[in-house]
Amino acid sequence: MTGSPAAQHQLDLVPDALLAGRAADGDTAAFEALARRHGPLMRATARRLTGSLADADDVVQETLVQAWKQLDGLRDPAAVRGWLLRIVGSRSIDHLRKRRNHADLSGVEDAVDASSGPKHEDPESNALNGSRVEALKAALAKLPEEQRRCWVLKEFNDQSYEEIAQTLNISPASVRGRLARARITLARTMEEWR
Amino acid sequence: MNTTSDTLECGHSLAELSTYLDTGQIADPVHLETCPECQAGLASLRRLSVLGSELLSSDVADAGSGNDDWMQSILDNLRLELRPGRSIPLHSGNAQDNLWETEGSISALIRSVADALPGTAAGKCRLHGDVTTPGAGITVDVEIAVVYGHPMEERAATLRRELAEALALHTELAIDAIDITVTDVLESPATTEPGTPPSLQTPPDPADSPTTEEQP
Repeated sequence: MTGSPAAQHQLDLVPDALLAGRAADGDTAAFEALARRHGPLMRATARRLTGSLADADDVVQETLVQAWKQLDGLRDPAAVRGWLLRIVGSRSIDHLRKRRNHADLSGVEDAVDASSGPKHEDPESNALNGSRVEALKAALAKLPEEQRRCWVLKEFNDQSYEEIAQTLNISPASVRGRLARARITLARTMEEWR
Repeated sequence: MNTTSDTLECGHSLAELSTYLDTGQIADPVHLETCPECQAGLASLRRLSVLGSELLSSDVADAGSGNDDWMQSILDNLRLELRPGRSIPLHSGNAQDNLWETEGSISALIRSVADALPGTAAGKCRLHGDVTTPGAGITVDVEIAVVYGHPMEERAATLRRELAEALALHTELAIDAIDITVTDVLESPATTEPGTPPSLQTPPDPADSPTTEEQP
């Protein structure tokens, strides 16, 4: 049951907690409003983690399936965004593991930054920032995979060391170490670039 | 792990500063405040963090809008299972027939009544009591969000009356009470970001004055 179009649009204005509560009650329209609201962030994170456009969309879809099933167990509905991103993190890591198990598929054909080419950048004020962002992408791509994962889960998903440790199945101390290594390398590269 | 190259001349390491950025904790806070080496390292890590936010914004922009086709096609693939909840028996004219309605259909009814009020949206709702036993006393709990400027008590009274009517019409539940909790006061759409298309705004009130909107 989706209600009137006016009510549908109204859902775009209400806070996450309310949508999550409705979705837990079985309101598919509220769940879809949540998916639309956080979809771009989920997709962006999955792309950075998997490095593949197609895998990223699979990850978003799997995340939403899992979220719908588990939503009534979510203790703090206001925290639904972080909860969705943690699922995105786990599902992305699953995809990377699966891909590694199929060595012949390891060359990703739809790599995230491969086709970016000339970007639709603002020619003036954003040019410098835009190119610094491009430089950061290149530096990230050169990091060891485990370090890159820690960095993305921290900076994109704002996860704690403990949460990242759970997602990656390593210790919080390893997360702290890898994150530091990643940042030091990236900061050095970017300082040279300045 | 070789950390020698990350050790600053003052003896502290960039790794310690990285942890400090996340946790706010460091062994020697007094040193940190006065050491130019540590301050320079911290500034460099903070610049990286700002740049990381810019990368995130750029990636989110590249991901497209949640209202675009890619999300619609993902949503179309989901085929979300319904959550029927408990089965509620309905009186049937014929003893051979069993008629039921689901708890989920009643929640949907409650939401649609609340959503139909201008500037109001339903949140969670709960039916307390044994709905599977005909005639058992039931308390309805509804959370709502109301757009700023709508008088709340009047809104709750109207909603309570309309819910009572709708539940009496569409169900056989013996409703003892309808409890309404306003969990959120929403910003009026007019004061949200200027780019909000008119279609996202709440249904227009016939009159601007909130005191007259309930008039016939």
